Amino acid sequence: MSFEGLPKGSGNKERTFRESIYLWEVLRGLGVTIGHLVRNILHTDDMPTRQYPEEKHVYSDRFRGRHRLMKREDGAPRCVACQMCSTYCPADCIEIVAAEHPDPAIEKYPASFDIDLLRCVYCGLCEEACPCDAIRLDTGIFEIAADQREKFVVDKEFLLNNETDGTR
Amino acid sequence: MAKVTIDGQEMEFAEGTRLFDACAEARGEALPHFCYHPDLSVAGVCRLCQVEVEGMPKLTIACNTFVRDGMVVHTRNEKVRKAARQILEMHLVNHPVDCPICDQAGECGLQNQYMTYGLYESEVEQADKVNKAKAEVIGPHVILDKERCVLCSRCVRFCEEVTKTGEMGIFNRGDRAEIGVAPGTELANEYSLNTVDICPVGALTSRDFRFQKRVWMLKSTPGVCPGCATGCNVRIDHEAGRIFRLKPRRNDEVNGPWMCDRGRMVYKDVHDEDRLTTPLLRGEAVAWADVEEDLARLLAFGSVGLAVGSARATLEENFLLKRLAERLGAGEMSGGLRDADRGVGDDILQDADRAPNRRGLEILDLAEHDAVTLAGRIGNASGTILLLGGDPAAAPEVAAALQGKDVVFVGTHAGATAALAQVVLPGAAWAETAGVFVNRQGRLQDFPQAIARPDRARETWRILVERLAAAGEDTPPASLRTVRLLLTEAHGLPDLNSLPAVGSVPAAGGAD
Repeated sequence: MSFEGLPKGSGNKERTFRESIYLWEVLRGLGVTIGHLVRNILHTDDMPTRQYPEEKHVYSDRFRGRHRLMKREDGAPRCVACQMCSTYCPADCIEIVAAEHPDPAIEKYPASFDIDLLRCVYCGLCEEACPCDAIRLDTGIFEIAADQREKFVVDKEFLLNNETDGTR
Repeated sequence: MAKVTIDGQEMEFAEGTRLFDACAEARGEALPHFCYHPDLSVAGVCRLCQVEVEGMPKLTIACNTFVRDGMVVHTRNEKVRKAARQILEMHLVNHPVDCPICDQAGECGLQNQYMTYGLYESEVEQADKVNKAKAEVIGPHVILDKERCVLCSRCVRFCEEVTKTGEMGIFNRGDRAEIGVAPGTELANEYSLNTVDICPVGALTSRDFRFQKRVWMLKSTPGVCPGCATGCNVRIDHEAGRIFRLKPRRNDEVNGPWMCDRGRMVYKDVHDEDRLTTPLLRGEAVAWADVEEDLARLLAFGSVGLAVGSARATLEENFLLKRLAERLGAGEMSGGLRDADRGVGDDILQDADRAPNRRGLEILDLAEHDAVTLAGRIGNASGTILLLGGDPAAAPEVAAALQGKDVVFVGTHAGATAALAQVVLPGAAWAETAGVFVNRQGRLQDFPQAIARPDRARETWRILVERLAAAGEDTPPASLRTVRLLLTEAHGLPDLNSLPAVGSVPAAGGAD
């Protein structure tokens, strides 16, 4: 393959004197930066940067957030381990182990109820599937962070005490 | 023959055909029903299968009517649908509708029929319903929820007509009527879990399966029960490599629609803690590659003294063992212990012979021996003893004879034999491999693999084929299909690769 006759790349273009000393271009760039700085100081309300975590984003009322498990009056989980949610879940992130409850009026309860928050797509189908209104995605909690993958698998105790953050 | 017009379709049926069966054939699906069961007497109590027969003043129940020449029947018109709906509403008046905690949900007659014929707003408040006992343990395997019962009386008829033990009955009258066991007794017959199968709702559920899994999550594979020589056709319900329950699969020539409680529990064996999951070399868990050297020495040509098959192994496995023994020039063969796996039979289904494939050994001309004779043959054999399946050393005579011998054991469970063997090769349990069992009638019954094998265990037939290859067989069978072809050819059997489906499985030679 021959390169003859092809146009030369821009890298080979002759620089003018002004370009070759760079200083002019550096000052031009600084001008843009200082221009934004002055504009932000004069109009702080329009500034897109948020002072997180002191200042938190306000989501729409329809935002769901992390799941929580509802309680009966005595504090036991309302869940009866029917596994409708895990059946319906498109992300397959709910793992329930059912067990026999000593009270025959309750009969069945979740011995364990784990949700993998990394797999969850926060679609809310689990709360729609639930016949007992035992699981809700209404906490509005969006700060879901941990330093190990395992910590994203939250258990029954965690979900039961996962109160709303008071924003609704 | 009787000419009957069902929903405008004229069909001929033999005299004495139940209108219920005729309608099922004409419609392509059964009429809604709870109480009718083809293997039990007709009770006619659920009133769901009502159809309109022209000339009859009122709707009539199809299960207790026989076809008559010239009958004109309607099963789908508005009158019939309305009747089914009203009857269903009556069945649900006192039903607790606790489907979320009911194990029957997903395979429930009440749910299915509600979706087809119900779909109404209930007129009875939950608080007005008659409450009855829930979660009442009525036997070693069965738990009863009296609220869910629709009083179809199938369980009562089963206990009276099939097991003839009569533990169950309907007590009280009206909306107080409830199913139960006679005072002071429990539902403890050996077929009690069949009442769970035939219960159309969640009134009778299995204690073993209770809350283990929702039924729609299970996958089903057809299988053959390895619990005894009857070889009941079963359905293995499993999920993620675990078996959750066995259910009978109808085969009128073997088990009908039933199976025994003991047979339903044999699946626990597969998930036993003492399963062999890795090869063992003198008791140490090792990789497959590490046993190769010892196997090459122990299973060299002329070094095998005696090869012992098993009535618990499949036909293919015993066949390959025989072939391997012949290839290695083994002087002696045995079918294993004649006295192992014996119990008490009955005249319903259970056989006293608790091994699934003893007739298979006969086909292969592998004679079984009693413990003393087998021990004697082991003692006289010079060279390696190759054992397949079961636990022959559970017999003390055999264990004593095996002491000091070179033993290679291909098996599934740890036990006396595995403890004595120099080399243990972990094979597949019955649900983890495909194979053929020959039942007491001599029926060849094939079954596919249902679940995965644990850890390093391999299909037993594959282990034996690998040994055949190592022993220098030019073209060892590469698949189970080829093994079956060889077996078919060697023993004049019907083609094992295309055994007919359930119900018409042919018998091997000498069937009764």
